[in-house]
Amino acid sequence: MEYINLNNLFPLRSSNFAKDEVFDVAVIGAGVVGTAIFKEFCEQGAKTVLVEKANDILDGASKGNSAILHTGFDAPPDTLEHECIQRGYEEYMKIKDDYNLPFLNTKALVVAWNDEQLGKLNAILKKGLGNGVKELDLLTHEQIIKREPNLSLDAKGAILVHGESLIDPWSAPLAYVKKGINCGGKTAFSHEVQDGSFNGKYWELKTSQKSINAKVVINAAGLYGDIVDKIKGTQDFKIIPRKGQFVIFDETAYNLINSIILPVPTKRTKGVVITKTAFGNILVGPTAEDQESRTDSQTVKETLEDLKNKAFHMLPSLKNHKVTATFAGLRPASDETFYRVSINNDKNWITAGGIRSTGLTSSLGLAKHIFELHDTRYEKNPKADEKVTVPNISEFAPRDNQKEGYGKIVCHCECVTEREIKNACHGELGAGNVGGLKRRTRAMMGRCQGFNCEAAVTQICKNEVENHE
Amino acid sequence: MNNIQIAIIGAGPAGLSAALELKKLGYDDLVVFEREDEAGGTPRHCGHLGFGMFEFKRVLSGPNYAKKLAKLAIDSGINIKLKSTLTKIENGVLTFSTPDGVKQYTPTCTLLTLGARETPRPDRLVSGTRSPDIITTGTLQRFAYLQKIKPFDRAVIVGSEIVSFSAIMSAKHAGIKIEAIIEEKDEIDTFCIIKYLVKYLLKIPVLTNTKLKNINGKDKKVTSVTVSSNEGEKEIPCDGVIFTGQFIPESSIMQKSFDDFNLSNNSLYISQNFQAKNDSFFVAGNALRGALAAFKCYFEGKKVAKSIHDFIRFKHEPELIKIEVDENISWYYPSMIDLKSPTKQHLTALRLKKREKGAIKVLLNGRMVYKKNIHAFPFMSTNIPWKDIELKPKDVIKLEFVRD
Repeated sequence: MEYINLNNLFPLRSSNFAKDEVFDVAVIGAGVVGTAIFKEFCEQGAKTVLVEKANDILDGASKGNSAILHTGFDAPPDTLEHECIQRGYEEYMKIKDDYNLPFLNTKALVVAWNDEQLGKLNAILKKGLGNGVKELDLLTHEQIIKREPNLSLDAKGAILVHGESLIDPWSAPLAYVKKGINCGGKTAFSHEVQDGSFNGKYWELKTSQKSINAKVVINAAGLYGDIVDKIKGTQDFKIIPRKGQFVIFDETAYNLINSIILPVPTKRTKGVVITKTAFGNILVGPTAEDQESRTDSQTVKETLEDLKNKAFHMLPSLKNHKVTATFAGLRPASDETFYRVSINNDKNWITAGGIRSTGLTSSLGLAKHIFELHDTRYEKNPKADEKVTVPNISEFAPRDNQKEGYGKIVCHCECVTEREIKNACHGELGAGNVGGLKRRTRAMMGRCQGFNCEAAVTQICKNEVENHE
Repeated sequence: MNNIQIAIIGAGPAGLSAALELKKLGYDDLVVFEREDEAGGTPRHCGHLGFGMFEFKRVLSGPNYAKKLAKLAIDSGINIKLKSTLTKIENGVLTFSTPDGVKQYTPTCTLLTLGARETPRPDRLVSGTRSPDIITTGTLQRFAYLQKIKPFDRAVIVGSEIVSFSAIMSAKHAGIKIEAIIEEKDEIDTFCIIKYLVKYLLKIPVLTNTKLKNINGKDKKVTSVTVSSNEGEKEIPCDGVIFTGQFIPESSIMQKSFDDFNLSNNSLYISQNFQAKNDSFFVAGNALRGALAAFKCYFEGKKVAKSIHDFIRFKHEPELIKIEVDENISWYYPSMIDLKSPTKQHLTALRLKKREKGAIKVLLNGRMVYKKNIHAFPFMSTNIPWKDIELKPKDVIKLEFVRD
């Protein structure tokens, strides 16, 4: 019988530009931050290349997060993070319809579960107002229960944050890259940047494939940000990977809550969140565990149990629902809490490092900020205002299975069609690995975890990859 | 919107046999909906022999059994709509996604024969890496028998229900070496003879009293598993992990659509005539509880067809009493008694989660009215007879297991 494994199915990508081509800008890292920067620079008219060590976008920190578009009500005031979150939010609202990206304004409740936390609500409210987030309300116990009848009666009080919303964390960066490519930007996947040299005019980046030349380098290497930063000669920060484990509950639990349930934050982390997702299930997490490893995203049984119990305490009826998935993400936290964004004009090097959990919201704002830092004028790309769309995989808009001619539904739990899987295998932005396929389609991500479809998905992908080589 | 008399959801053994029986009883306005692109259900990918003995008096392989059943249905003129996925049940309207677009039906009567699936890794909360090479028996069967693919070279099987034996055979068929079978309990979860077969005939280590501690690997690839027992921890190299058993009904749509979901069975509360509280809905086969053999689903299909026939002919107002159970019981059926039902079945079958000795007690309004001593195995059912217990409307019934 033929050995076929989903992990080995997708061919390694090469790049489609000449070796001696000198780009205006090379962005290292195709996470949510790198893809947003790539889009911005391409639109502004810079000849830009996106360099990524993995064979697909979102292979590092950006693949595992809670998928919330934040208002910045609790961001550290007057920081770059605060500014970028709010700018990023505004920017997302401007572009989401053009790109066919989902958005659901569920609002969030910051819930106080004891008197100590209750005492902190006023300060949070004040901070939020100070941060320019005006739509905040203090809720009493009765008001919480009216809004969230399934929540534990232990909820003492809460702040209702009107702007907090759900988005699709995977399709948005995909749209950013697609837009960049549409403006003529180039991509170099499976090009791990290993070293570089600057000749006073441009950088020659040595990668695991061919060398890449660019006048300016932007380091958005996420979990490897500090290592890549060494290439410029000095290292100004250290990445301390922070693991966050998550538990996803089945879609049967989707209607148990209306809003995102946030805890009163501590200094270190926003704490354990219970939220709906754009994919119609319930997410609980993350934990915050500092570690050395930049790759170890294993889950731990006891931690997952603890997460479940915390969630059951807040939302007792969640007990009646099955766990669909467990996973861990690694946030690129640094040795300081703030974003490590800097420019080195002598070296033509910009660093966008230490972008922690808020990166999903802030990335579009951060991209604009970095373009301003860069302070170079280009002739705006003529295609900058052209629309590009990505397929909708969220539950907030009609999906492929509601449009005829899709062949058949292959993944029954998530209702993923044969047409969606085939399309996800193709093109410059087709899936580069199994994770990429899942993030483009949701195939194999439901309650049966591939019991029904993994074999069929493997077969379809094999045929598609072979037929398009 | 399409008005039909009977909708059957799922063209497996239970659904097809119910359809055949209803057809025989003269029901022509009947549609069987199947989400896959062929009828037959789970036996389609159970490549081993052992099907059809009771139904067809022949020994068939799963795929041949599925084909035969599908052919019987098609030959008798039953309308089977393939590639039709039920996405919503609301106010008596069934919504389907089909390749021809979204379709809606308003049947007089709906039979849910949705089947079951194994519990995959996440709901078991196992530590370690994530990988597409961590699968279930069902996945392996589909790889081996439907797609003819060998997904990995050597694997560890987790769990020892009878289905793990099927996992071994599917692995053998695909050319996958099984390094070990791991079972947390002190005995395997099926007939002892299987253990000796596996151990001595197939020469596969059966590790009882052994926990799966961690799945090791990186870059979405499995490299080994760490197991622990009284003798300490050890690492077993492998590139695949197969979780087996712990079947649960494919019932998310029931839980989403009805307010009387039974958490012990992971299905609806169902009376002795396979009827839900919402009396136009019936449930049968593996959608009622964990997995049973295909022939049992087949015969249950015939029974539910008669119940549907009775329901349509002599529509009566049900008088329902729910039966609750404690946490030792893995599933039980029926979970309600309809005092006015024409079906006078007076038995509740139940299974325990573990191998145990003790007694099953029936508490009627808090008072014990029946007791039965049992030595239970998780793969064998015990019957509770209701014929000697007088039941009245609004009674409260609870079944408890008390250990010796």
